[in-house]
Amino acid sequence: MVQLTVQNVNRVLHDNAGQRINVLEDINFNVNSGEFISIIGPSGCGKTTLLRLISGLDQPEEGQLTVDGKPITHPDVSRGYVFQHGSLFPWETIKENISSGLKAVYGRHYDKKLVDHYIDLMGLKGFESAYPHQVSGGMAQRAALARSIVLRPELLLLDEPMGALDAFTRADVQNVIQRVWKQTRTTMILVTHDIDEAIYLGTRIIVMTPRPGRIKEIVTNPLTFPRDRTSDDFLKFRRTIQDKLNFGVTEN
Amino acid sequence: MLETVTLSKKQRIKAVKQDKAETKYWKPWRTTWNILSLVALMAAYAENQFVPAQELVNNGAYKWFLIAYFIYLVVVYAVGSVIHGRIRVYSGHFAQLNTILGLLLVVQDLITEKFAIIKLPFFVSFAQILDQIKTDQKLLIASTWSSLGLWLISFVIGTLIGVILGLFMGRYRQFNYWSFPFLKVIGIIPAAAWMPLTMVIFPTSYLAEIFLIAFAVWFPVAFMTIGGVQSISTDYFESAKTLGFSEFQILRKVVIPGALPNIFIGIFTAMGLSFTMLVISEMIGAKVGLGWYINWAKGVGNYTQVYAAIVIMAVLFSVIFSFLNKLQEYALRWRKRSN
Ligand SMILES: Nc1ncnc2c1ncn2[C@@H]1O[C@H](COP(=O)(O)OP(=O)(O)OP(=O)(O)O)[C@@H](O)[C@H]1O
Ligand SMILES: [Mg+2]
Repeated sequence: MVQLTVQNVNRVLHDNAGQRINVLEDINFNVNSGEFISIIGPSGCGKTTLLRLISGLDQPEEGQLTVDGKPITHPDVSRGYVFQHGSLFPWETIKENISSGLKAVYGRHYDKKLVDHYIDLMGLKGFESAYPHQVSGGMAQRAALARSIVLRPELLLLDEPMGALDAFTRADVQNVIQRVWKQTRTTMILVTHDIDEAIYLGTRIIVMTPRPGRIKEIVTNPLTFPRDRTSDDFLKFRRTIQDKLNFGVTEN
Repeated sequence: MLETVTLSKKQRIKAVKQDKAETKYWKPWRTTWNILSLVALMAAYAENQFVPAQELVNNGAYKWFLIAYFIYLVVVYAVGSVIHGRIRVYSGHFAQLNTILGLLLVVQDLITEKFAIIKLPFFVSFAQILDQIKTDQKLLIASTWSSLGLWLISFVIGTLIGVILGLFMGRYRQFNYWSFPFLKVIGIIPAAAWMPLTMVIFPTSYLAEIFLIAFAVWFPVAFMTIGGVQSISTDYFESAKTLGFSEFQILRKVVIPGALPNIFIGIFTAMGLSFTMLVISEMIGAKVGLGWYINWAKGVGNYTQVYAAIVIMAVLFSVIFSFLNKLQEYALRWRKRSN
């Protein structure tokens, strides 16, 4: 069932000199509910810009975005957004941060067990009462992830949520995200620089090219679950995606 | 799951506190300095006792003061030498300062009441000030309470008005457009300039004093609050929106805490102005308070009383200052400490 549609979207911004930049040009795709979309592309190709349009924080100059047939006009709790530079509130503890959305939506009688569950799952136990500046970048990023997930959004937008993580925790958090995705059937859209991550998690992969930001190709991931990062099929598919990306860069 | 915790929460809090104390009170513990500070105080007592005085002074209160100071130092020194905690850090840090203070007490006593190098009535010894405080204690306590009460009510009113105006002006463009020009013009006027008018406009002089002090406070607070709100990163507003915050919740959970560091800068600026305004307005309009006491003492030519009131103000305002400091430390405990 189609949940999100993005039709003929253009996003035009102006740089400091007043020059027009076509940040996104002619973006078209649909997302079915329950899918896991990975968006991959070089820095500056408009990935964050696209996620901001989907969340409703910005509006496109041309084209239309809809969720369940309704145009996206403003941000909503049903569309979670984990920002690229995790934006935990520095004045709230890790636990307060994770509960903040629940408190805002459900008042004082929110599901406290759910918060504890995700604190546990994200490996944040023992740091509930720490403030964001007191924890590592990776922990802060995981807390930001938990803060959005506890709200049980229908669509979760993830802007490089694992950018600040080392290889070990990265694999752990990927598995957590995958588990949450499977358990809750939340539709997820993940922006990443990491091809392995895109392939490991995504059911479809959107490959983008920069200047202007366009969709080069949308590739369906042939791999079945559970996925093994070292299997031949994985490596073969990885090469396919790699070629598409390299081609995208040299073309410019 | 991903990381293991080795310290319990209690242990961590204790370690952090110890650490904080050590960076703030950095001078190392030296037995010599601790003993020297005790010796300096004994010297002050002996000097006061045995050097013949040229001025007639009742030294009773001063001697009790020296004894209390001495006992206090003995206690912190004793505790510090046994227990390796915050008191040790504290006592070690201030030992040198206490030594010098003890010597200064000797010097001031010698040049005033003992040898009368600088003379009455304009210069008095610390012993005379303490004696004056003791003599006037009833009046001084009443004055102190009255000043504290007046200051508190005015400061709270001024701060609230400043914070509320500042939050709205920082957050809402329309509101800012219509009110900022007025803020700029009215706020820049020194509160003291309103004094003659307020004395006739307000039905009681107490209300006039509240107005004057609150007026000195609201402008710096409002001005800093506006800047504080505007300096909050848009990231926080955007995440609040995607997390389902209502406008009221954004105000309460993003705008206020985000502006709080600047609000405190405003509060500390306003604090100094408010003390000035407190004393001036009491000198002019009041029948009670420390400002009135000073004015009255000046009228009868008793400068020892002026010193007494000044000493009490120094204590009172320092207490208020450290209370506000503690409040700030607590309210901004989420901030990364910069040292
Ligand atoms: N507010 C803005 N005004 C002008 N130009 C902007 C603005 N925001 C983004 N851009 C430009 O749009 C382009 C795409 O930015 P975007 O942040 O979407 O890239 P990205 O794909 O997320 O990059 P990265 O992987 O580095 O995060 C960049 O060239 C950037 O300079
Ligand atoms: Mg980006």
